[in-house]
Amino acid sequence: MKFWVVRLVSLAVAFGFAFGADAWIAGSMPSAYRLAVLAGLFVTLAVSLNLINGITGQFSIGHAAFYMVGAYTTGFVSNQFYAQQPLGQPMWLIAMALLGAAASAVAGLVVGLPSLRLRGDYLAIVTLGFGEILRIVTQNISQIGGSYGMNVKPFGGPVQTLWVVLLLAFLCVSICRNLLKTAHGLPFVAVRDDEVASSAMGVRVSSVKVTAFVIGSAFAGAAGAMLAHAETFISPDMFRMDVSFIILTMVVLGGTGSITGSVVAAVVLFGIPEYLRTLQDPITKLPLAVPGQALLGSLVAVGLTVWGLREVSRRVHGNVQNRAVAYGGTLLGGAVVAWLFSVVFGLIPQIAALKFDVNMLRMVIFALTLIVLMLLRPQGIFGHHEFSWRWLGGLLGRRPREATA
Amino acid sequence: MSQTVLALQDATIQFGGLVAVNKVTFDLNKGDLFGLIGPNGAGKTTCFNLITGVYKPTHGSIKFHGQEIGGLPPAKIATRGICRTFQNIRLFSSLSALENVVVGAFLRHRTPLWTALACLPPALRETKALREESMRLLEVMDLADEAHTRSSDLPYGKQRRLEIARAMATRPELILLDEPAAGMNPLEKEDLQSTVKKIRDNFDMTVLLIEHDMRFVMGLCERIVVLDHGEEIAHGPPDAIRNDPKVIEAYLGEAHS
Amino acid sequence: MAGLDLSILPQQLVNGLLLGSIYALIALGYTMVYGVLRLINFAHGEVFMLGAYAALFTSWALGFGPESRGQPPQSSALYLVIMLLVSMGACALIGALIELLAYRPMRNQPRIASLITAIGVSLFIQYAGGLFLPQSPPPAISEAVSPYRGVMTAVLKPPPADLAATIDEIRAREQAAKSLAEAAKAENKPEAKGLEEEYRSIQRDLRAKVGEADSQTVRITVPHGQLIMLVTTLVLMAVLRHIVLKTKTGRAMRAVSHDFDSAALMGVNVGRVVTLTFIIGSALAGAGAMMYATVLRTPLSPFLGVTPGIKAFVAAVLGGIGNIPGAVLGGLLMGVVETLVVWAGFSGFKDAVAFVVLIIVLLFRPGGLLGSSKVEKV
Repeated sequence: MKFWVVRLVSLAVAFGFAFGADAWIAGSMPSAYRLAVLAGLFVTLAVSLNLINGITGQFSIGHAAFYMVGAYTTGFVSNQFYAQQPLGQPMWLIAMALLGAAASAVAGLVVGLPSLRLRGDYLAIVTLGFGEILRIVTQNISQIGGSYGMNVKPFGGPVQTLWVVLLLAFLCVSICRNLLKTAHGLPFVAVRDDEVASSAMGVRVSSVKVTAFVIGSAFAGAAGAMLAHAETFISPDMFRMDVSFIILTMVVLGGTGSITGSVVAAVVLFGIPEYLRTLQDPITKLPLAVPGQALLGSLVAVGLTVWGLREVSRRVHGNVQNRAVAYGGTLLGGAVVAWLFSVVFGLIPQIAALKFDVNMLRMVIFALTLIVLMLLRPQGIFGHHEFSWRWLGGLLGRRPREATA
Repeated sequence: MSQTVLALQDATIQFGGLVAVNKVTFDLNKGDLFGLIGPNGAGKTTCFNLITGVYKPTHGSIKFHGQEIGGLPPAKIATRGICRTFQNIRLFSSLSALENVVVGAFLRHRTPLWTALACLPPALRETKALREESMRLLEVMDLADEAHTRSSDLPYGKQRRLEIARAMATRPELILLDEPAAGMNPLEKEDLQSTVKKIRDNFDMTVLLIEHDMRFVMGLCERIVVLDHGEEIAHGPPDAIRNDPKVIEAYLGEAHS
Repeated sequence: MAGLDLSILPQQLVNGLLLGSIYALIALGYTMVYGVLRLINFAHGEVFMLGAYAALFTSWALGFGPESRGQPPQSSALYLVIMLLVSMGACALIGALIELLAYRPMRNQPRIASLITAIGVSLFIQYAGGLFLPQSPPPAISEAVSPYRGVMTAVLKPPPADLAATIDEIRAREQAAKSLAEAAKAENKPEAKGLEEEYRSIQRDLRAKVGEADSQTVRITVPHGQLIMLVTTLVLMAVLRHIVLKTKTGRAMRAVSHDFDSAALMGVNVGRVVTLTFIIGSALAGAGAMMYATVLRTPLSPFLGVTPGIKAFVAAVLGGIGNIPGAVLGGLLMGVVETLVVWAGFSGFKDAVAFVVLIIVLLFRPGGLLGSSKVEKV
């Protein structure tokens, strides 16, 4: 009885949040709406890839392919059939999410099958290749726009999709969490840890792998469906392997296997470049420009700071205060170094004359963030941990030094 | 008369030119405590791999309760009721001790995957039941205190015992132990001997084990097969094996020289 | 698609091999690094790109820049050698730096963490390159650098004898008509116009016949530059082979590749071997980049390395990653297959075919063409 009450309440909260956020953001911050949709989609993508990569240990680096299959299938179907169907617009969106999921699940099955024979890096390259093949084939089919892309405007214009996107992200997160919470999830982790031992314990390794691929790709497909309807335009260029890499990065950076980590990393990694894009100079209202000497100075400082932080984390133990002082000191030192170097570089006229638009810099900053985070925390932000109140409490209070695994 | 559980008939496997196991024939009766010994590279572990489906035999048959299992996939064989441990411990390193055992017990799950994905009560109940059952096995193996320790953080001897617990969780009729006492001190070995006996007596399992420690095998097993260079050179009760000149030459000879 | 033109097939095969030799050079870097570190060095394509820019800047420094006023200097083989060496040196340095700064700190971390770092380094170089490197209009290395601008032609199948005879006959008539027409024109005779027209008509005839003969001739044309490129590639591969098989360093490399930890325990200076591997692999990419930019005269961009990089990586996997002859074989195969696909009229699919071949091969040989798929010991 209690179970059902909790379940109903949580479902109500999820729906309430999804619709509430949709209405609120659409009403008050039109420019943020698109970002919220994309962030939600990246959360879904990262969490679903985490199921394949992090939880089941199948090294798939072609997740954008499933995203694309969902987007193109539903975009095409929407364009062709929306006018002739009786469902309303909201139901149609849900139907499209389901269709995208189904189409990508089939694609996931196709990719999952070679995974039975291939391991590690070989599987990785095959999944990557599968994505590239699909993308290039799409580029060559003129009926769906070829390399020019395809408009998806069944409704005659943009529609509100945030609520579906949020529900999708919720669903994806809860399915993965449920899997890990029940005994059914253990075989997935067992396959990741040791295939031979798993099969000796009666785990049907092949079916576990294929299941992971199918579920993971189905969510990516549903996300693709929403992308097509939210952006109203899709092109093969939106699904290049960089996208797969970014999703993979979200998974690893969040902590392989940690759902919480994937969610946080997805939001952060999606957010950084988007935030940089919107930065403006407070006075001129033009995109923020960085002088050459400041850029080079910060590059040097970032390098030194990373090195310093690593050394600190390796050498400084003891109580929270000591460590906080050491870390804070290193960061402060980094800022001083940045300033010093920017003064020095400023003396060189060629460098002082350079000005860089933040918008141009954003991918450089993104890449640097990636490298720095990986160097500082190779096990990912969350490691293997999941969010829970107890874990948070342990983090804030005194905690034993983590065993470096 | 006791019933035959496992029957190897001329089981042979060849890797290229190397005949790793050559025409090995022996029977295991229900409730046997059976030892498989031989010098290094004699083909003992390969024999296990044949029985558990890791390799497919080149010739010969392996029958479990009269049904051919040679060449079946390992998971199928596990489902039929044969489970094993590994010589070089292969625990699921990121899972806790308890979860390792649950993976074994999961073999007998009934609820479909979707109920777990939706987190419905049947799946939750089953999870709880499997965990309780696994906990009991950990108690039997004296590992209850370590239930929530990551298996890779356990000391070596406990990892070996955890492997046995995990295999027992599948409720096999036949359990294959690959060098269960390796790396243990004499005290732990003695402990393990009584545990293996307990497994056989209390859990109604047939035990086939590989071991290098002669005292351990001789003190525990009721029948022994000796392999050398993939061939069966002796077969019988411990006393007969101890005095078999062929065995002494191949194996004990070097140890006693 | 208007039927396959078989007469240009041999030429296409040769072009494929030439392209493939570049892929092979890049693939060697991937495979060597993978061999010792089990790391897919995604930044290798970017090292290649930087190598191409290094060659460009060298050519500018030598006086072949876009702004060089007056006559550019006389082309010389020496310049090419300098560019090649600078490219290789620059790439070696960059490769070693990447290893030292980004990969070495990750040595004891899970492999996937190094992989993500590699992706990060690759993105960083691409976009930082986008900030600092000249790119619009896409710069290309001046053709004037190379003294080898001729072509070499080998005729595999001459045109039919009767056609050749007809052509000779028409050519003779053409010559006669030409001199007649010219003479008439010089003397301002009234029939000059008619003769001129007759001469033109014979000339048209001749062109048609020559065209016909041309289409029935099977020949291979190779620019001298590409020939030199192929020879250079082969020499570099021979040097690599010598290093790997005959020198102490090579033995250490093979040991590390076989078993990293044991090699370290046996006293191999693993750090040095890894650095050397990056230096050698990157230098090969640098050589490939210089030739790619100079001989094939590809316009440069900071994203230049992505496609050849990924294809070379596929080539390395195709041959069996970690296997040096495999990388060469894979590279050549990749080049040939790609050229053939374009020849067959599917140029839109040329970037996909690499993966199709790879997937087919891996399904039958999961360890690649020359690689061995390791059976896990239980």
